[in-house]
Amino acid sequence: MPPISIPRKPLKLIDRVSAINWNRLEDEKDLEVWDRLTGNFWLPEKVPVSNDIPSWQQMSEEEHTLTMRVFTGLTLLDTIQGTVGAVSLIPDALTPHEEAVYTNIAFMESVHAKSYSSIFSTLCSTEQIDAAFDWSEQNEFLQKKAEIVLDYYEGDNPYKRKVASTLLESFLFYSGFYLPMYFSAHAKLTNTADVIRLIIRDEAVHGYYIGYKYQKGIAQLTDAERADLQDYTYDLLNELYDNEVGYTESLYSGVGLVEDVEKFLHYNANKALMNLGYPALFPAEICDVNPAILAALSPNADENHDFFSGSGSSYVMGKAEETDDDDWDF
Amino acid sequence: MTQPFSLHRKEFNSTMTDFTNTGLALDNTSHAAEPTDPAHDYHALNAMLNLYDANGQIQFDKDKAAERAYVTNHVAANTVAFPSTAERLQFLIDNQYYNPAVFAQYSAEFLDRFYAHVESAGFEFGTFLGAFKFYTSYALKTFDGKRYLEDFPQRCAAVALELAAGDENQAVEYADEMLAGRFQPATPTFLNLGKAQRGEPVSCFLVRIEDNMESISRGINAALQLSKRGGGVALLLSNLRELGAPIKHIENQSSGVIPVMKLLEDAFSYANQLGARQGAGAVYLSAHHPDILRFLDTKRENADEKIRIKSLALGVVIPDITFELAKRKEQMALFSPYDVERVYGKPFADIAISEHYEEMVADDRIKKTYIDARKFFTTIAELQFESGYPYIVFEDTVNRANPIEGRVTMSNLCSEILQVQEPSEYNEDLTYKHVGRDISCNLGSLNIAKAMDGGLAHTVEIAIRALTSVAEHTSINAVPSIRRANEEGHAIGLGQMNLHGFLAREGIMYGSEEGLDFTDMYFMTVAYHAYRASHKLAVEHGQAFKSFPTSDYAKPAGQGNYFDKYTDGRRSLEPRTARVRELFAKFGIAIPTVADWQALQADIIKDGIYNQNLQAVPPTGSISYINHSTSSIHPIASKIEIRKEGKIGRVYYPAAYMTNDNLEYYKDAYEIGWKAIVDTYAEATQHVDQGLSLTLFFPDTATTRDLNKAQIYAWRKGIKTLYYIRIRQQALEGTEVAGCVSCML
Repeated sequence: MPPISIPRKPLKLIDRVSAINWNRLEDEKDLEVWDRLTGNFWLPEKVPVSNDIPSWQQMSEEEHTLTMRVFTGLTLLDTIQGTVGAVSLIPDALTPHEEAVYTNIAFMESVHAKSYSSIFSTLCSTEQIDAAFDWSEQNEFLQKKAEIVLDYYEGDNPYKRKVASTLLESFLFYSGFYLPMYFSAHAKLTNTADVIRLIIRDEAVHGYYIGYKYQKGIAQLTDAERADLQDYTYDLLNELYDNEVGYTESLYSGVGLVEDVEKFLHYNANKALMNLGYPALFPAEICDVNPAILAALSPNADENHDFFSGSGSSYVMGKAEETDDDDWDF
Repeated sequence: MTQPFSLHRKEFNSTMTDFTNTGLALDNTSHAAEPTDPAHDYHALNAMLNLYDANGQIQFDKDKAAERAYVTNHVAANTVAFPSTAERLQFLIDNQYYNPAVFAQYSAEFLDRFYAHVESAGFEFGTFLGAFKFYTSYALKTFDGKRYLEDFPQRCAAVALELAAGDENQAVEYADEMLAGRFQPATPTFLNLGKAQRGEPVSCFLVRIEDNMESISRGINAALQLSKRGGGVALLLSNLRELGAPIKHIENQSSGVIPVMKLLEDAFSYANQLGARQGAGAVYLSAHHPDILRFLDTKRENADEKIRIKSLALGVVIPDITFELAKRKEQMALFSPYDVERVYGKPFADIAISEHYEEMVADDRIKKTYIDARKFFTTIAELQFESGYPYIVFEDTVNRANPIEGRVTMSNLCSEILQVQEPSEYNEDLTYKHVGRDISCNLGSLNIAKAMDGGLAHTVEIAIRALTSVAEHTSINAVPSIRRANEEGHAIGLGQMNLHGFLAREGIMYGSEEGLDFTDMYFMTVAYHAYRASHKLAVEHGQAFKSFPTSDYAKPAGQGNYFDKYTDGRRSLEPRTARVRELFAKFGIAIPTVADWQALQADIIKDGIYNQNLQAVPPTGSISYINHSTSSIHPIASKIEIRKEGKIGRVYYPAAYMTNDNLEYYKDAYEIGWKAIVDTYAEATQHVDQGLSLTLFFPDTATTRDLNKAQIYAWRKGIKTLYYIRIRQQALEGTEVAGCVSCML
């Protein structure tokens, strides 16, 4: 089947370009996040996913299908975010450095989309991959999710774009992230989970940063405009949430994890709202995520591993600094 | 209605990757009957360890509950029950699980008593991870992986019976040391002994490669054969001619070390030890080899797929001269190994570069390229940030401290094995023209806290005997150079773990004056008893290791004898602090005096020692979890450690002896900093004949300069090798998971 896509309005980036001077920062956060994102740079080839082949072969047919569907769903979201979402934020950037950060985010989203492919091609046959992609095109909830988000990206309001983007980064991904985290807590596909953890490490920063820029942006607005945006945010979240519940059921009902995934959705919806500077929507009682998942989610790079295991998700790009004569004074 | 979204598929056409690593004997036990609600789900209970309770306390009880839930629900439901020991052993032997030869050495009556003894010890695992790791990775299972056939005491029993080789008293001694947690053999020994279908009980192999195709082929063969049998394999690449070197006098023919690394990486991923664990390998290269930067670049994040090395560990061998050149801000010469071998008539690695540096620079017959020495150190540090590699061997420090005749040119996968080798020569059909010497080393570690509780001396002797037994019962026929060295040298590596746990339990800060003093005194006392035991073994066997007469152990007292450092008054053998003096007194452990060492020195000069090498301190991953120790002698990586391993998933592990009341003694390695770690290792290093795996820990705010400073400091303090560099990145403020112990502490 050839790739199909909806026609989209041409995206206008920016009117004029001025040379970016990183030595004149208007917002320190830009550099902090830039440093973090570039320091976190990774490529899927770094993780030996092929070490998961024995584990994959031990898993059931249902688990295979579920995994592939979840990953096709994630691929779709990352594709949207990489090719449309992060790029659509560029015109609204408040500082040239913010533009630079979005280009990095856009690129890493494409890396994420590609890393699912590298997981697929390592673990599954072409036939299985095709079947999963067909499913993703026919799943109404997944299509709706993509449609809602794309509509907002193409809308005129820059703040609404940021809200949509933050909800995507901090909320919509997580119904999919649940599965590899669940598997890895039960000793399945642990190297694949490393890839996902690297992705989560990035998404956590993306959602946080876009939400932060949103808060900065709306500070200049009138109270009425802000109230309007807050209503809009909760409306959109509710719309996405309803759709997400349907999506979760279509994926997870066969393995009895629906309830647990929903708690995870609540938890992350609150997290997305927090990133946007809004109070939580879901009460704590329905956010009690399975601790194994919650603990596995930690974006910190403090896990321990050895050479008989995977490569882990903990190394970062170093900052080079020359030694001086005092260092060599012996 | 819009058309559905779709994705381009062409990116999925990439070739299928590596399907070779199949057939793992995974833990296939059933989870069907287990509750999955968080209150009984042992994974969920264990994960609570990483989340604070409502009062901000770490939930240690939840981890214990996880251990109990796992053992009483999952393990009990999946264990095969037998009416009696005799019937159990008969079944295991008849069905080819246990090796009949091991059990035939003992009477049925003894076996009954022996098993009753070990099973009555009331053993429980200290943590969920300990239990989980034991059952998933060590316990004997039915061939389909569905039922457990052993618990911890029964595993200890099988190991002890094979080690003791028919000696009943010895079997009881070995089992008691293991069950009490004082001595824990390394994974290959603990995993394999007693079983009928198994790999070798040896941890570690080191193999030289010489500059010819036969030797390279033999190297790859060794990687395959030894991975199949267990443990990690390290290979020396320093002797290989560089990229562009001549072949048969035609210039620009050789493709250098990278393609050999690729071949080795593939060999390791193909072979695994009956699925018990993946093959793992390391390669070492001299800092002055012309391919050194290409070698390091294989670990770059953005390296081309053709040269990228994913799973092979890298080590760099650095002589003193490299530091001197960097100090003087000079260029460092890289020497063509091909030319050096032709000029000096011996392989590149066997030349002491520091000694011959100026001479080789002046010699026009040797082709040279130059790189900036300081830049070289920056490059090493950059790579360590990205990948944790390379390890570093301080070549001249190692060879100055080496008591055995010959040269140490490399280390192993964990950078604690340091032994001499001798090159092999081959015929065209790959048979041996001359069998050289390569290295195997079997390891085991003492739990410092429990060894101290138990009086130490006896535990050291039993451990040395156990390790020697492994050496004696191992014959690596697949690699004759290893077999020869083992037959001649009986080299072993006694390690240590739980230093941080012990110090914290006793209210001493890691890296404090008292902490350093204890490390010094403990390692000296262990060394004394280890040499005592090895001397006893030499007397019992009526022979010393083969090269004993030419070693520093045989030199007359006061004339460069290895033990002169303890007997010639150059240092005090007394504790420096009152606290440490009290500590040894409290446990009733005598610190050896000058007179004790003099007597030992005289005995050894007379009779020799049985083991060419005795001590090596490994990083102790898995076994310290089973034993509930802190790893090796370095500080904890985290109060609650997140452990990720292929076979067990993501699991949380509390530091040994930690409670909500003594948290101040559990500063982690990042807080403690590299200086205290290097100082602690420097205290231990002076008493260890081989090496110690030393991991350095940095926050991600560190720069390459900080890493370089630590390396310079370590080199100056007489550290022999540096193992991994670990970088910890804290979550960006605002992105952390609320209430997570490992994020916040």
